[in-house]
This record gives sequence, structure tokens and C-alpha cells, in this order.
Amino acid sequence: MKSRICFLSRLLALCLLFGVNHFSHAQSAPDPNAAPNDFVQQVADQVLVALKADASVRAGNTTRVNQLVDDLILPNVNFEKTTRLAAGRYWRQATPEQQAALVKAFRGTLGRAYSGAFTRVDDATNVKVFPLRGDADATDVVVKSQVTQRANTQPIALDYRLEKTSQGWKIYDLNVENIWLIENYRNQFAQQISQNGIDGLIQALNQRAQQ
Amino acid sequence: MRIRFSIRFLSLAACTLCMALLSGCATRTLGTPNPNDPLEASNRAVFELNDAVDRAVFKPVAQAYAFAVPQPVRSCIHNIFLNLGDVWSWFNSTLQGRQVDALNTFGRVLLNSTMGLGGCLDLASQTGAKRIPNDFGVTLGVWGLDSGPYLVLPIIGSSTLRDGAGRGVDIYVNQFGYGSLITNIDLRNSLYGLEAVERREALLELTDTIDRTALDRYSFIRDAYLKRRSAQIAGSAAQAEKPPSYEDDAPAPAAEKAPNMAPNK
Repeated sequence: MKSRICFLSRLLALCLLFGVNHFSHAQSAPDPNAAPNDFVQQVADQVLVALKADASVRAGNTTRVNQLVDDLILPNVNFEKTTRLAAGRYWRQATPEQQAALVKAFRGTLGRAYSGAFTRVDDATNVKVFPLRGDADATDVVVKSQVTQRANTQPIALDYRLEKTSQGWKIYDLNVENIWLIENYRNQFAQQISQNGIDGLIQALNQRAQQ
Repeated sequence: MRIRFSIRFLSLAACTLCMALLSGCATRTLGTPNPNDPLEASNRAVFELNDAVDRAVFKPVAQAYAFAVPQPVRSCIHNIFLNLGDVWSWFNSTLQGRQVDALNTFGRVLLNSTMGLGGCLDLASQTGAKRIPNDFGVTLGVWGLDSGPYLVLPIIGSSTLRDGAGRGVDIYVNQFGYGSLITNIDLRNSLYGLEAVERREALLELTDTIDRTALDRYSFIRDAYLKRRSAQIAGSAAQAEKPPSYEDDAPAPAAEKAPNMAPNK
């Protein structure tokens, strides 16, 4: 009898957990076919809601951070393109296996970058996306935003670069205070590849993950 | 007591210097040389040295400061120093002939110094006006002076030949402009110390992120620095600048073909 109650309460807890999770995801799934600035605002809001509700992510719990990146960020990102552009002309020299391994290894770097950024999120954190400027029909756009944090601190300029794909808008590059992610990694990738080859780069990225 | 402390500090500094020099010998130039960085080998050595000093002294002190002083107080102190710096930014914007920037910065200083309680509250940022950081290195750049080679200066860090000269002027103004207003030497030196600690503290999160994500911290910081400086010199024109073009349609030159391209299986 006792074990049965225990089982039931566990089931209930699981249902609650799953249900709540399911609800929070379903509530604000970003629409990739909306205007790019609206899409970015939806993605950012969804991530912020999840972060504010989960203290373990903010504390840098790697498993939870990676789960959140997988669930809420990567579906909206063309990370293969990010990696391909960061590898530049070396991408075509790599075998499909190496390309896949490189995407996976670089994804680890992204996870570490996010886990650092997430620790800074608090209840006052807000992302304000600015209206889109330039050509309305463009298929490659830059969306500008501003991250405001706790009172009396400097806001951070954060820009997103998006591409229109058959599945709607996908983010593929980020700009933090005038520095583009791909542009900055390009040089570091080229350095590693010219010295140790693609496999050397994959190894170096994976090694950083273990530190 | 103070003398003993400074001797201890000096011996610690000397020790880290030795260690850094030894490790500096082991560093070598990596991969493709950057045309903006012909002095990469010696820059890397100074970078390692700065890093060792930072690890031994500046970073721990900044962490202790962050631990001991509550966030609102740190924000206040941070903003007061930034507000003082804005006066110099305003002067440089004027020298550069960027009257709109100068006017914005002037208004910001006026607002923050009065309603913002001497700069403690950054009211201007809260109303959405972005700070326009400026210094004499940017002024020289706007006047048409080429940046010259990238330089890593001891303690100061990333710079170029031009920015190093500009930094000299910045420091001179800071020392003899603001500094001479404070006649009490102890107080003045304490404020210089506080400024140094506070500056490092404000960078803790950034340097942690770089430690966590960069493949090669040296080139990460160098590229970011050069990019940021050229954006500052371009000024508001950089806002309208197109994002970088990544498409590389030229075939890879055979001579530069990377080794180990074949899978290792």
C-alpha cells in the first residue's frame, strides 16, 4: 500500500513536471515565419522566461544549460552554417565526417559561452529588439537588440544575423559590442587548421570542453 | 608597515615576471601571420607576462573587491569613474569634429553629474542614450593617423603604436588634469588604486567568458581589440556598415593546403 502511494505521488510529480514543462514550451514557441525582429524577440523572451524560472541554469549547471540550448536555442539557429562560415575555405577540404565532428565540437564551445552568459541573467534582465531597418524583402538581415540588466549598469549591444530558409528565419551569427562571432572564430580556426589540420581543430575544441 | 608591504609586493611581482619570462620563451607564433601584427612573437611574450601578473595580483584583488563590496556600491563607483572619463571623451569628440557626439556626451555628463549624484547613477544610459567612449588614440585615428603595428603593452595590454601614443596623452591628462585637483597624496594614490581595481572588476565576466570559449586567447583578444578600435574610429558611420561577408568562393590555394586533411582512420 505504502509503495503504491509512493508510486502514485511520483507519477503525479512526473506528470506535473512534464506538464509544466510542456506548457511553458508550447506557450511561446517562436514563429520563424514572422518578421525577423519579432522572431528574435520571441526567441529571446522564451529563453529569458526559461532562465528566470530555473536557478540551476543560472548557477551554470552544465547539463541543464546544454538541455536549454538544445531545446530553445538550437532549433532557431542554423549552426551548421555558423560552423561552415567559421571554417571558411577549409570547410570544403573536410570530409563529411570531419564536418559533422567539427559542428559537434563547436557546439560545445557555444554551450560554454552560453553557460557563462546565463549566469548573469537576473530578474531585471530584459532584451529589447529594435525595429528592422533596411530592405523589407532581404533574405539576409541584421536584427539589433539591447540587453539591459540590473539597475544602474551599462546595457549591452547584441545583434543577430539571420537568413531566410525554407523553414523560415534562422539565426547564424551574433555580434556582441561590434564583434561578430564567426569573424572572430575564423582567424582562430584558420590558425589551428593550418597547423594541425581539421582533426587538430576538432581535437582542440573538444579539449577545451574537458577543461 | 607600508614599506614592508611594498617590498613584498615587489618581490612577488619580480617572481611572476621571472616565471612569465621563462614561459614566454616557450611561446611561438601560431599559424598564419596577421598583417596587423608583425611583432606577434614579442607581443605574445608580453601577453603571457601580463597574464601571469593578472593571475597573481590583479584578478584576485578584483575578485576580493567584488566579494567584499555590494553590487550597488560597485555600480556607483564604476559610474563615477566613467562619468569622469566622459569629460575626456567629450573633449576628444570635439577634437574629432564630431559635434553631435560631443553634444550628446556633454549632456550626459551634465545630467549624470547633477541629477545622477556626481555620476553615481547613470541616468543618461537609463533614458536610452548610449555612452560614446572616446580617447586620444581614437582622435589620432580620426585625424588620419594609421594604427601602426598591434602592440601588447606591459600591464596596460592591447594597444597599437598609435593607441599607445594616445594612451600616453590620456594618462598625462588623467594624472595632471584630474590628479592635480587632489592635493592629498594618499587620497590621490588610493583613488588611482581604486580605479585600477574597479576597472579589472568590471572586466571579470568578460575575461571569464574569453577563458571559457577562446581557442587562442591571444588572437581572440587581438582581433576583438582591432575590430573595436576601427569601429570607434569609423564612429556612427560604423552603425550603417554592412555585416562582414563570409562567402569564400576562391578555391583554396594548393600551397596553403592544410596538413592532415585525410581522416585518420
